[in-house]
Amino acid sequence: MNKNVIRSVTIVSLFFCILWLVGLGLAVGEYYAGKPDKIPVKTNVEKQVKKKEGLHIVALGDSLTRGTGDETGKGYIGVLMDEIKEKSKQDVQLTNLGISGQRSDSLKQQIQQTEVKRQLQTADMILVTMGGNDLFRGGQALLEFETEDIADIEKKFLENMNFIFQQIRASNPKANVFFIGLYNPFIDLEQGKEMSQVVRHWNYQSAELSASFPNIVFVPTFDLFELKVNDYLYTDKFHPNTKGYRLIAERVASLLTW
Amino acid sequence: MIPLNKLIHNEMMKLIAKKRLVVIAIIIGFLVAMFTYAQYKEVERQREKLGTDDWRTMIQQTIIDQQNRISSARISDEWKKQLQISLQQNQYYLDHDINPSEPGAPTFMRIFLENSIELFIPLMVMVIASDIVSSEHSQGSIKLLLTRPVKRWKVLLSKYITLSLAISLIVAIAGLLSYSISGLVFGYKGWGAPVLTGFTVSDAGLNTASVKLIDQWQFLLMDFGLVWLVAIVVGTLSFMLSVLIRSTAAGMGVMLAALISGAILSNMVSSWESAKYFFMVNLKLTNYMNGNPPPIEGMTLSFSMMVLLVWWAAGLFVSFFVFTKKDVF
Repeated sequence: MNKNVIRSVTIVSLFFCILWLVGLGLAVGEYYAGKPDKIPVKTNVEKQVKKKEGLHIVALGDSLTRGTGDETGKGYIGVLMDEIKEKSKQDVQLTNLGISGQRSDSLKQQIQQTEVKRQLQTADMILVTMGGNDLFRGGQALLEFETEDIADIEKKFLENMNFIFQQIRASNPKANVFFIGLYNPFIDLEQGKEMSQVVRHWNYQSAELSASFPNIVFVPTFDLFELKVNDYLYTDKFHPNTKGYRLIAERVASLLTW
Repeated sequence: MIPLNKLIHNEMMKLIAKKRLVVIAIIIGFLVAMFTYAQYKEVERQREKLGTDDWRTMIQQTIIDQQNRISSARISDEWKKQLQISLQQNQYYLDHDINPSEPGAPTFMRIFLENSIELFIPLMVMVIASDIVSSEHSQGSIKLLLTRPVKRWKVLLSKYITLSLAISLIVAIAGLLSYSISGLVFGYKGWGAPVLTGFTVSDAGLNTASVKLIDQWQFLLMDFGLVWLVAIVVGTLSFMLSVLIRSTAAGMGVMLAALISGAILSNMVSSWESAKYFFMVNLKLTNYMNGNPPPIEGMTLSFSMMVLLVWWAAGLFVSFFVFTKKDVF
């Protein structure tokens, strides 16, 4: 066998051997002795955002935005998307920022993130579901039925939503915002009547708040679930099922303008 | 007496004649091509799903997905914590406007290295290391080798040095192939892309106080160093088995079992604390650089390196001790 081949393979290997040793030394050095850098946090959102072709839809909110309870996994957003794609013949980009279990104070935090603001800026339409977790607290509302407590919660919620809408309008003054109202999942239960009253009041206040901003539309869902609520609820008796989401999506779809 | 470099030359010749390195290069090449395609498909799918290829949007979606998974009641605390750390890291990248996976061959190389440090590279090393001594037995050439007027330790040392050189070469081959093949699809740029390192994981979650910003090429060099160390340790242990066990297949089997058990153990040992003294649980050194939580709480880079070095030294000692003492027939 050629001596030179063997020699050159040996030399190349030796070179890499030394190189990797240097790398190892660097790694240890960096891990233990490297000084932390001051990396600036990016806070300003670029004013000029590249506007792409097609529709950009941003969805904010809770498990309803995620589609919890829908066997097809779409949720009202998914059904609505299908409808929009079909009707508008445009490319539709959806940014779903919904987080299951989210309450208004956490949405208030979320909406102040730089990246979320950037997304809102480019949005053509913004969908919001919020309030279900504030009010019902996973069914706890039924147990602690103190009207005063609920009045407090409602007040806090409206304050948060006011802030959220201000932020949305500051980031994006043009896009239509659809704020989906609450339904009463407990309407068939013992205290359903009282709960309905609370929900109606809650929705009324939400609608009033929405009306004080330009292009923020309150979308009622209370009536959709008023009769035969159990046909439209998932087995957890809280989230809508596939049919329930379809109802909500259809209602929102009927409000869209092109 | 034959000088050491002649012996190494001789060993090197045997290694090249066996064409093992070529086989290894072909295997790595195949796998890299597959991973490149898989990665390409994944990017494609994401783009389709989100309707954009903007990395900020993608990472924002990842964060939201993680938040949703954390808020689900059905996941274990363990998993929840891992998700939380990953989420905080993603958020950190996003807040500081740094793309954690700048598209390009260097990034692919980094991800490839980080994923192959624990099993794939050690396996490739084993292909060479596990029969470097035992094959002399099975071919009967050990007698010829030892009848030469050379001290036994010198024979073994020449074999060990050759092995170390071959390992360095294998790591280099993995780097070169992953760069050149993935570059065809992702482009060859991205050496200067910023990478964050210095995340520390503690009880309280992710600590970003000592985060550093370095260039990707530096980060890669460090990753290579760590991969090399792991390869050397695994190579040494296979080398030891090759001395101890005459059958190459048996030696390979033992090593393979150890490596695979390491990969499995890393996922489930968090409550069995003394498992951290096994070498195979400590192989994922790159995790310390990119801030992934270690398999067992409290493990650090120096701890893992110490464990590996102890195993390495023990393996080397046993190899030389046994080889110089054992009867050859």
